[in-house]
Amino acid sequence: MRRLQGLPALDEIVSLAVRIITSRTFLEILVFPGFLNITLSAAFLTWLERKVIARVQLRIGPLYAGMWGILQPIADGVKLMFKEMIFPELADARLLMLCALSLMLIAAAPVVAIPFGDGLVIANMEIGLIYVFAAVSLFPTVILLIGWGSNSKYPFIGGLRSLFQQVSYEIPMWFSALGIVMLTGSLNLTEIVKAQQNIWFLVPQVLGFAVFFTTVLAELERIPFDLPEAETELVMGWMTELSGVAFMIGFLAMYIKLYLMSALITVLFLGGWLGPPLLPDPVWFLVKTFLVSSVIVIIRGSFPRVRIDLLLKAGWTRLLLLALANIFVTVILIVLGLDWMWRV
Amino acid sequence: MPDLAFLALSGLVIISAIFALEAKELIYGAVGLAFSLIGVAGVFVLLGAEYLAMFQVSVYVGAVVVLILFTIMLVRRESGRIVEEEEPCRLGRAGMLIAGLVAVAVAEAMLILAPLSPETPEFYQAPLRELGRSLATSYSVALVILGLLIGATVVGGLTLAKIDREEKADGTAQ
Amino acid sequence: MALDSWTLFVVFELLIFLGIFPLLVFGWLMGAKGRDPIRDAPFESGQTHLGEARQRYMMQYYPYLIMFVVFDVVAMFLFTWGLAFTALPFAQGFLLLVFLVILVAPLGYALYLSSKTEIW
Repeated sequence: MRRLQGLPALDEIVSLAVRIITSRTFLEILVFPGFLNITLSAAFLTWLERKVIARVQLRIGPLYAGMWGILQPIADGVKLMFKEMIFPELADARLLMLCALSLMLIAAAPVVAIPFGDGLVIANMEIGLIYVFAAVSLFPTVILLIGWGSNSKYPFIGGLRSLFQQVSYEIPMWFSALGIVMLTGSLNLTEIVKAQQNIWFLVPQVLGFAVFFTTVLAELERIPFDLPEAETELVMGWMTELSGVAFMIGFLAMYIKLYLMSALITVLFLGGWLGPPLLPDPVWFLVKTFLVSSVIVIIRGSFPRVRIDLLLKAGWTRLLLLALANIFVTVILIVLGLDWMWRV
Repeated sequence: MPDLAFLALSGLVIISAIFALEAKELIYGAVGLAFSLIGVAGVFVLLGAEYLAMFQVSVYVGAVVVLILFTIMLVRRESGRIVEEEEPCRLGRAGMLIAGLVAVAVAEAMLILAPLSPETPEFYQAPLRELGRSLATSYSVALVILGLLIGATVVGGLTLAKIDREEKADGTAQ
Repeated sequence: MALDSWTLFVVFELLIFLGIFPLLVFGWLMGAKGRDPIRDAPFESGQTHLGEARQRYMMQYYPYLIMFVVFDVVAMFLFTWGLAFTALPFAQGFLLLVFLVILVAPLGYALYLSSKTEIW
């Protein structure tokens, strides 16, 4: 401990701010792969979901706002901004608004560490993977607060179900990513992608991929793990009492989470930005990410919902065992010396 | 500049903790605790323990605060509010102020009497592989004991929580 | 000071906050003022709400929360082990798995307890 003489002068702060704003990283933060990227992609994913679900259900989906309804998300956003934020009398309006804001902050946080191309990452953290997992682990807290703060039966039950579901599926998610960490010996997402130059991790970690994909579906509260929302039972689940701008923020946060989790699956198992030099690296990344998101969306239209107790038990027994089996397979791979393919 | 970050994070920790103590609703107290623990994670980052900071966020804010919230929400309340409104104890506030001033005076006296080295120690960030290696080799026995301790705590806690309900619910499940 | 990862993280989060907070303020200002008992009732698809909303639902899954805390800590040790796995001497690489196996028993107990709904 030393005396606090090191408080920076105002011009030092200003110069640092100017340096940050005029740096290339700030442009990355603002445009790609930062702020604009995630908001536009999340909005695009809302449109994609409605179109794909519609086709699966033999409908057409959004049609009138722009060609093929592509401007529908913008129309929705503008509408929601001007709708009144109705908070019930018994609900805690300030807590709900604070939690909606936190939801967006937490949902957008993983993009800082996810590499969209070689060197195209906002902050190349040495512990990138753990950072993303920590950001995702903050969701249950906020969702529980929203469910409780709404002071109404449906949101509260939805919040509790979401809490238990996400909490039960986070452990298999982490354990299934452990195999990749063992093969590369690094938590840095850029290095994990570069280690897949020979073969993608999809091949040796098939079991891990299956478990990870399932747990990501559960973390996103997507069908077949849809009970917290359960449209026929709980209206909108824990988001029921959010309306207007707060709902827009929560809804957008959910789709940003979908986008970033798909990006994480791409980075971990599908080789990130690696691909034949036909297309530039970030385009490969986006192609793979939207492919994963489309599969997740198609699954929504194709599967029934799992009951809550079976869901939780499956997360703790079967998925955890499969993740541990994946670790065992990885140990065997390393012991047999086959891991040279992924050590760059 | 690190001092500004340290000041900001310390402010977050202390002010959130004070808010957590003084809040009328227990839920707000838990939210204050969550912010305070996020500030602690920030301090870990400043000290170079990024890995620990991430798991601080994940374990404490993501799991322990959830447990606290869950417990607060589901404790049966007869009167509707757990925290009864109390008279603010004016002597208590004066006592806190005096204790704070005494603590600051003692710290300053210590600094004058035993001045520390003006150089800050080197910023050392332990490589994670080294951490893992030493945990698995030198501290493996400690880890096994830790596992046994955690297991015993969990089983004990669950048994206590369960028996609590059984005593109250005589035949009629709730 | 270098533009290290955490500064950028703070800048990014600040940016998101500055982008979202005005939207909330805008929505709050746009809203109608005054309480209306019909508009402000909790949403139950048209029915009037009866009874306290915050009751003891799903208490039987409480052991899952405790097991989550435990396995969260286990994951912390397991990731350091996984990182260093190739650098470990052969036999000692598996000692940490003993740590994992020990905690299977409380997990089994937690699963057993959560299947009995009548004691919660």
